[in-house]
Amino acid sequence: MSDLRITEAFLYMDYLCFRALCCKGPPPARPEYDLVCIGLTGSGKSSLLSKLCSESPENVVSTTGFSIKAVPFQNAILNVKELGGADNIRKYWSRYYQGSQGVIFVLDSASSEDDLETARNELHSALQHPQLCTLPFLILANHQDKPAARSVQEIKKYFELEPLARGKRWILQPSSLDDMDALKDSFSQLISLLEEKDLEAMRM
Amino acid sequence: MKHFLRMLIQVCLYFYCKFLWRCMKFVMRKLTGRCELQRICYSTKPGASRTIKIETSLRDSKSKLLQTSVSVHPDAIEKTIDDIMELKNINPDINPQLGISLQACLLQIVGYRNLIADVEKLRREPYDSDNPQHEEMLLKLWQFLKPNTPLEARISKQWCEIGFQGDDPKTDFRGMGLLGLYNLRFFAERDATVAQQVLSDSLHPKCRDITKEEISKFSKAEWEKKRMDKAIGYSFAIVGINITDLAYNLLVSGALKTHFYNIAPEAPTLSHFQQTFCYLMHEFHKFWIEEDPMDIMEFNRVREKFRKRIIKQLQNPDMALCPHFAASEGLINM
Repeated sequence: MSDLRITEAFLYMDYLCFRALCCKGPPPARPEYDLVCIGLTGSGKSSLLSKLCSESPENVVSTTGFSIKAVPFQNAILNVKELGGADNIRKYWSRYYQGSQGVIFVLDSASSEDDLETARNELHSALQHPQLCTLPFLILANHQDKPAARSVQEIKKYFELEPLARGKRWILQPSSLDDMDALKDSFSQLISLLEEKDLEAMRM
Repeated sequence: MKHFLRMLIQVCLYFYCKFLWRCMKFVMRKLTGRCELQRICYSTKPGASRTIKIETSLRDSKSKLLQTSVSVHPDAIEKTIDDIMELKNINPDINPQLGISLQACLLQIVGYRNLIADVEKLRREPYDSDNPQHEEMLLKLWQFLKPNTPLEARISKQWCEIGFQGDDPKTDFRGMGLLGLYNLRFFAERDATVAQQVLSDSLHPKCRDITKEEISKFSKAEWEKKRMDKAIGYSFAIVGINITDLAYNLLVSGALKTHFYNIAPEAPTLSHFQQTFCYLMHEFHKFWIEEDPMDIMEFNRVREKFRKRIIKQLQNPDMALCPHFAASEGLINM
């Protein structure tokens, strides 16, 4: 056992004693949501999710197949199913849409014209897919730290989000690995959308 | 509440064990007249069990000299051994074998740590298309894997034939950097027959026959399509980079200590690491075929199962993963 573990253990025991003394029960469980994370290869999906889980994004290799991560936030836990973006894997994406409550689409703002077009086609297919069309979308224009990155305005125009995604719930945000606060803020907005949808479902 | 109790028990157990262990060491020293290092060297035969026990003993010792001896420079090993013998009041003339044994162990221990540093340095170096040496290595990789097919252009769809994801392999090296390319090239060059076999299989893996229950579930046309999909499933280069990731994690977590301490009588080197990679590639390929997954989407599940199997094998202290195969001319048999 390392010293760090022992310190954690003592801190946690202090916290629980404090709660017991103040006559509070155990801390309330956070709501969980199932999301699917898609985007072309190299857009930065695995790196973003690793960094959100406080892991180092340096060791991240290309995702082959899919991987599942539980990303904790202050007011929710997101169970994200991240799908690889290589050409030979994209055709399997629709298999994993079942049961999702939201979609995260990551794109490389500094990619070539051809790649951007491919990303646009994939986003449009996802927006129109029967299992995803009613769900909230978080679209992250990633790699904003690169000099060749296109701005959010340009991306919104090129992807025709206003006309195509009208009536659907979506958020388009710039993102980069350097700015975790902005990223967490984008996710908070997504969580609000997910909570709203939950409330609506309960009312119905 | 359960969580709290479990933490409490773990903390108490830790302090109890540490205290008890120190008492045991004191008693044993008085009974046998030998310190722990001597007892280990005399009772355990050379190999991973001995080296690992020595390493644990040195690391957990109260003496600063012993604690820091696991991270000395290789040139300072002899002096460190002399200092240790002096500290423990062991006469080198009466116990000549002890000095030699300790030196051999320390060489391996320090060598493993240095190997981790070397491997990390390679991993952190990103692939640079402006660097002529990197470019040459990449082109050589193509030549070894596809000796009869010339590469049309540096950026071309042909790279997909050896399992890269796009026109330019540069982006696929993320995460493992130059280490990925080094390993793939080593595999393709030193173990050419196996590498080409694995490549060829990955493009046309074994297709299993349809079972009775599947006949009712899928129509014949759907099944034919599924069989074709399987043939395009497995990407040689990307899987190679993932296996490099696996080998790297095994090295850094210390799981490969059993293997290296058994096969490398002196310090483990990068060449040993690359040979281990070749073994893991070959084994993973056989494992993939055995598991017979539906398609590439099951990759992470199969990889995780494979990793657990290797870790279980490595828990046996007499284990050496790959004593015999073509790339390992430099290895000594167990």
